[in-house]
Amino acid sequence: MTSWKELLQDEIPAEMGNLIDIYEAQMELRKQGKLDEKVFAESRLRKGVYGQRYDNGQRHDGVQTRELTFPSDDIVKGPDTLWDAPGMQRIKIPYGGLTAEQLEVLSELADEYSGGILHITTRQDIQLHYVHIDDTPDLMRRLAAVGITTQEACGNSVRNITACSLAGVCHDEVFDVSPYADAMTQFLLGHDDVQDFGRKFKVAFSGCAGHACGLVKMHDLGLLAQSREIEGETVRGFTVFVGGGLGTVPHQAKVLAEFVSEEELLPLTQAVARVFARLGEKKNRNRARLKFLVAKLGIDEFRGLVEEELKIVPPDERHTAYMDSLGDFVYEPAKAGMALNGAALPDGFAEWYRTNVYKQAQSGYSTITLHTPLGDFTAEQGFQLADIARRYVGDNIRLTVEQNFVLRWVADADLPAIYRDLDAIGLADSGAGTIVDITSCPGTDTCKLGIASSRGLTAELRTRLVEKINLLPDAVRDLKIKVSGCFNSCGQHHVADIGFFGNSRRSGNHKMPHFQVVLGGQWQQNAGSYGLACGAVPAKSVPDVLEALTERYVAERAEDENFQTWVKELGRKEIKAMLQPFTKLPSFEENPAFFSDWGDSRVYTIDDIGVGECAGEVVSLFSMEISRAESTHFEALLALDEGDFAAADQNAYKAMVLAARALVRTKYLDVGDDYNVIVQEFRSRFYDTELIYDRFAKGKFARYLFKRHAEAPARINEDYAHQIIDETQLFIENVHSAEQRINGVIVG
Amino acid sequence: MITVPNRLGVKFSLKQKPKLQPADILPIFQRWIQEHAVPGMLIDVIDYKHVVEGPGVILVADEADYAYDLGEGQAGLNYIRKRDLPDNLSAALRLSFHHALHAAKALEAEAPGDLIFDYSLAKISFLDRMNYRNQPEVFDAVRAEIAEIVGEIYGAPVEVSRVNDDPRRLFAVRATVSAGNFDLDDIARRLSDIRELA
Repeated sequence: MTSWKELLQDEIPAEMGNLIDIYEAQMELRKQGKLDEKVFAESRLRKGVYGQRYDNGQRHDGVQTRELTFPSDDIVKGPDTLWDAPGMQRIKIPYGGLTAEQLEVLSELADEYSGGILHITTRQDIQLHYVHIDDTPDLMRRLAAVGITTQEACGNSVRNITACSLAGVCHDEVFDVSPYADAMTQFLLGHDDVQDFGRKFKVAFSGCAGHACGLVKMHDLGLLAQSREIEGETVRGFTVFVGGGLGTVPHQAKVLAEFVSEEELLPLTQAVARVFARLGEKKNRNRARLKFLVAKLGIDEFRGLVEEELKIVPPDERHTAYMDSLGDFVYEPAKAGMALNGAALPDGFAEWYRTNVYKQAQSGYSTITLHTPLGDFTAEQGFQLADIARRYVGDNIRLTVEQNFVLRWVADADLPAIYRDLDAIGLADSGAGTIVDITSCPGTDTCKLGIASSRGLTAELRTRLVEKINLLPDAVRDLKIKVSGCFNSCGQHHVADIGFFGNSRRSGNHKMPHFQVVLGGQWQQNAGSYGLACGAVPAKSVPDVLEALTERYVAERAEDENFQTWVKELGRKEIKAMLQPFTKLPSFEENPAFFSDWGDSRVYTIDDIGVGECAGEVVSLFSMEISRAESTHFEALLALDEGDFAAADQNAYKAMVLAARALVRTKYLDVGDDYNVIVQEFRSRFYDTELIYDRFAKGKFARYLFKRHAEAPARINEDYAHQIIDETQLFIENVHSAEQRINGVIVG
Repeated sequence: MITVPNRLGVKFSLKQKPKLQPADILPIFQRWIQEHAVPGMLIDVIDYKHVVEGPGVILVADEADYAYDLGEGQAGLNYIRKRDLPDNLSAALRLSFHHALHAAKALEAEAPGDLIFDYSLAKISFLDRMNYRNQPEVFDAVRAEIAEIVGEIYGAPVEVSRVNDDPRRLFAVRATVSAGNFDLDDIARRLSDIRELA
């Protein structure tokens, strides 16, 4: 029987394949108890392999908390996270750009590994839920074969880089930011300077200031397209924002630089990353995002540090090399642009055209939005959508931060036909971007931190609103609703007109699911302002609260007054008074329905809340790097078992260099990947100084590295392979010991 | 010997559209967890009824998923075995049929006279594109064996046909037996040796 690894070996880029092999080796080491659970957890997260609710082996069934006895109960994939428990696989889709072939492979994976469902996130990722960790290496290989990586999709790393889904077709953009988002993705992926963060780092691009676009003001690093006339030439660049973020404590980003040219974009980003890695909080995960560092230092001091860092960022041809290929970033429509030609229009088309069709800057073309309820679609829809894309738009598919698809470059004449085809697969719902198009995080369905059912509430609101959408005034129809299952704001409730986030209250002896009402956030202007928390109401009262709010808004608003202004004018006190009647809690005997959450018949409990993995594990850079050396050593062992002695030698040698690099990087971050430089730096810093010396063996183990580095073996046989693998093991142990002597603590 | 797929699904569709709505299945499956009404290490219930012709409502277990499946516009009970499949196809199919039948009967008992499954037709899905590409030669290679195994389960001749011929889709077959040619109690007796997870 063959394997995906063998089958796809010629289709997977070598570096991507190597990283997956290392991850698979780490899995094996963890199962054998030879890799620290925190180190493995962070490694796993950096591959996008995330924990899920109940993975601690406990679940409340509505009567009592029961133990979930998984087969490998004694093996964990992280602290308090059982190996066999279903998990989530996050898959990075940079700026949301997908090809038809990639969509097909994603659908295949959903079919086989995750119940046939794919989920679009607010970062333009795809997530598969209920995935077993043992399936993840093959899943990654199948993605890698079509150019998709899960590398650094979670954990303390640079997350998926987002951009406006209309980039390149928008009327109002300064220029298309897509190729810049693509270049930054390539540049930062696996970069040495982004491996030692205390928390995640989110980057977004936007082509214009006015619309929501990339939401740059709520990001760690936001890039807003600008152009300037310099010496008679139009120069492209960006206004750079830093330190934005939602979460429990939302921060508006500050302007780091009013204008940074495209030549300066990547080095400046690198400098920001280096300052964050060096000065960002590492121990207290609640204050480890960049926004806290910027707030603590002040934007002026932070700017000064970045400017100083910029002076010592090592030269790198990649800083500007991407500019040579900016012109290659062209869109290939499947058909010539053509106006709607008076053909008969199908039922429902007019409303869909009104809400889901955007006339592109390019004459004769439109971008259409495919509204996916709760961000979910089936594998079957994925296959059929790939067919539709090929038929009408080619590979011009993108995911949006509102958990939808867009198909770009639809010839206008094809709009009725594509509407019919989408309707046949259930993806032609109108109302994209309106009040029925509600954003929701996973909440209690799958998230370990969820307090209330954001998806359950969203589904209920959506059902009710769809029924009466045609009766709603325009002012209400265009409102944004966003729902989070807890205060962490993954559903982006702060930037909605009407936001909700889950919490709980007690009534008598029972807990009751609640949602805090957050009003007046601004989606436009790149998440221009954040809403105000106005009070918590029972989850089951939220539909009535929404109705009361919108009715009063329609009745009292001045002409053309938007929701944010109306909320501000009304004032928090008055809003609180409006919510007051809804805050009266029935007893369990009076209304037991209030004590169950939306979409869940169990009596509500918060006993299932666990420890989230959003923050990653606080693991030292050395621990992460030495684990790569150990995994590569393990690969050498496997090669030896398979009788491939040359591969055993190569992996053993590589493992020694990686171990040396791990130690060197504790003193010299910029050592790079060149074996000669690594060995030379290791020799001068640790061997010549005798820091690596073992108490008894002195420098013997280091000399194993020097010997192999100086000369490849003339003959490789089984005995030799055994020997170098043993030597590698001794050298890795030697590096571990030296690091503990020199730096003290390994795992934070 | 024919390879056992990584995952194996057996679905029985309903004979007619029931009064019971997919939303009504959620509390049933939640209660099944409390009462351990079906075998396995039952974990959670997932609600996907909002997606068109999707997996509907899934009772997730460690070894298998029990879905009130809405795929292909036909509501039904889809048992998908995910782990611990026996090492030969006959045993794997017998195991999956056993649990699918058990769960379908349990669901019928929740709404007597409303939920009625058509046991004369089973959709068998091979969730394993490495070993089961959806291609004619794969079908040719396994058709007779599937017919024989399922025929033994039913105690009657079985027709086996491919569900679709799109090479991207999962390899899946329909196993059909003439109504009246089988008896559910007899099937249960033939599968009575399967005790695991009970």
